[in-house]
Amino acid sequence: MDLPLTELRNGETGVITSTDPCSEKEQRCRHRARKGWRKHFMVDRFTKRLSDLGLTPGTKVTVVKSAPFHGPLEVFVRGSRLAIGRGMASRILVNVER
Amino acid sequence: MSNNHFTIALAGNANVGKSVIFNQLTGLHQHIGNWPGKTVEKAEGTLHFKGYTIDVIDLPGIYSLSTFSIEELVSRDYIATEKPDLVINVVDASLLERNLFFTLQLLELETPMIVALNQIDMAKKKGIIVDREKAEKILGVPVIPTVAVSGKGIYRMLETAIEVIEKERKMEPLKPRYGKEIEERIEDLIILLSKIQLKYPARWVAIKLLEEDGEVEKEVLRVSPEIVAFAEKFRGELEEIHGHSCPTVVTSERYHVVSRISGEIQEITEPLKIPLREKLHTVTTHRVLGYPIMLAAVLTVFIAIFTFGDFTSALLGDFFFGLKPIFDTVLGTGIIGELIWGGFMEGIIGGITVALPYILPFYLILYLFEDSGYLSRVAFLMDNLMHKMGLHGKAFIPVMLSFGCNVPGCLGCRIMETARERLLTAFVVTLVPCAATSVIILGLVGTFVGIQWALTLYIINLAIIFVLGRIAFKALPGEPTELIMEMSDYRIPHMKTVAKQTWFRLQEFIMMAFPLIIAGSFVIKIAEVANLLDPIANIFSPVTVAWLGLPAVTGIALIFGVLRKELTLIMLATLFGTTNFAQVMTPVQMVVFTLVVMLYIPCIATIGALVKEFGWKKAWLITVFEILLALLLGGIAFRLLTI
Repeated sequence: MDLPLTELRNGETGVITSTDPCSEKEQRCRHRARKGWRKHFMVDRFTKRLSDLGLTPGTKVTVVKSAPFHGPLEVFVRGSRLAIGRGMASRILVNVER
Repeated sequence: MSNNHFTIALAGNANVGKSVIFNQLTGLHQHIGNWPGKTVEKAEGTLHFKGYTIDVIDLPGIYSLSTFSIEELVSRDYIATEKPDLVINVVDASLLERNLFFTLQLLELETPMIVALNQIDMAKKKGIIVDREKAEKILGVPVIPTVAVSGKGIYRMLETAIEVIEKERKMEPLKPRYGKEIEERIEDLIILLSKIQLKYPARWVAIKLLEEDGEVEKEVLRVSPEIVAFAEKFRGELEEIHGHSCPTVVTSERYHVVSRISGEIQEITEPLKIPLREKLHTVTTHRVLGYPIMLAAVLTVFIAIFTFGDFTSALLGDFFFGLKPIFDTVLGTGIIGELIWGGFMEGIIGGITVALPYILPFYLILYLFEDSGYLSRVAFLMDNLMHKMGLHGKAFIPVMLSFGCNVPGCLGCRIMETARERLLTAFVVTLVPCAATSVIILGLVGTFVGIQWALTLYIINLAIIFVLGRIAFKALPGEPTELIMEMSDYRIPHMKTVAKQTWFRLQEFIMMAFPLIIAGSFVIKIAEVANLLDPIANIFSPVTVAWLGLPAVTGIALIFGVLRKELTLIMLATLFGTTNFAQVMTPVQMVVFTLVVMLYIPCIATIGALVKEFGWKKAWLITVFEILLALLLGGIAFRLLTI
């Protein structure tokens, strides 16, 4: 099933299905989509940054842990360790087998 | 340029040992400045090798050649327009996949390059064996294994660099291929692009257009809006086909190529036991243990620096003031002598007794922490708290620095990636009570009013930081940002590189702060000699006396505080002729005075740092705002406390 990265348990691995969903600005995205505007993806610089760091659709990502008090996530991806802010991480959708 | 004078640029990810290689190449012949008009560090050096003179440029450590950060923009503009004779791409052999992603982008820029496969010893320890020959064959450029810290392979690397520059080596650099749908559209765009003049290679521009690169798009738009329209159409089509945004599709396919290549050239065997650096990582980022460890580390550093600093500072001060009699006999005690001593010498002494005892060890420890990898763990732990003041984890570092001195704090804002984050962090940084402010809080309020009042002032200060940070975060236009960073493996810092970084930072501090402190001392000394201080204090008296309820002479102390905040206390003692402030000021006056000093102005050196990083306008805005804020809060406090 598809879950935001933040929903994964520590040590769990998933495969990224999307890094550019219409999350917060969903309403505006939908509106655009209805108007036939091609841009129904929410691409900002940080989505770009995520994919530059290797978090692209189809990539395996393991959540190692998260910092306390709703802190950032520590993830393992493509052989290296990244810290990702929680808001960002909640926009990454992953497919996990449970 | 003569035919034995070349320019080589070092490019690569952060934390791959690039600056160590740079130091190995250039030794002491280096110069660190800024890229013109940008607050991005530019390290240049020269080296002589086999009769060649080679200028080496250390580009900032980046992950991609897009436009995410100023660093990325600077790097790619440099490579594409300045066209160095060669780019040495430093690659971490133990993190091939992430590193080759950048290599591929360099190949796309069609710049002459070689690859330095660095830290192969570390890779081996991690159980990663890289097939160099195969890598060379696939990438089509020379690949040289190196161990930067020990200097291994550096000579070979230089020899190869010369061979490539002199075209003694035939190379067929790889042209990364994308999927069929993307390639077709790239081809179409190249045909269109071949009709116009561009400073970048056509294929690269085509790819960047598909990646929705703002800068490239702007440039093409100027010459041919129809190409941009085509690119937009293509992007839409690709999004239809793949179900993801086009930039994501392109990046994702590039990574696909990368993982195929790295799969072919490396062999990984998992090490059997967990290495020490992994255990260290687990403990230092632990949700419970991480915080006490961090607190202990930060406190130890502060206590050590202040113990060392107070001692050496006093020693240096005694030494310099011991020179005064000699000075007096040479220059006499007339106006000239007084001006030179009071203006020039005391300015210098003031600078030295801050720079050497405090700033030097501060930077040294900062770079040790950074180089070892601990700083990124601290940022990870503190991210959440920093969010409360509208910043993110990385900002903890400049903020922490500012408790020592606001100047390195302001300069340290460079680690933030976007201009907006930098300004926000700098604003918060200038509100942090620095060591000199702490001296006043503790020395005046702590001693004569009570330690609980000193603590209250600290808490008020922190509360102001949180509130204003949040307001600024909401008010400042632009995208809010979040923490995304690599936490690279712990390693033993390379002392020579750390020492050099410290040295250059210290130089930067001296160059910026000293002239300001000296000039400021001069101006104030002249005012003093011309008997202008009292009239000036009288001009301020409606504010100081009527609004803040302070004695009129505090106006003079506050003027001196602009130079360095601890001078306010020293001046008060001089003006009152006593250090027992309880005799001359009421507790309320002391609290109000300290509150004002805490906030009223970034000292002159900090203003200098703000100007350097953000320009005059923003520096003045922050300064004026803080003066008004201090006066407002001071007046309110006075009224509340005297009810």
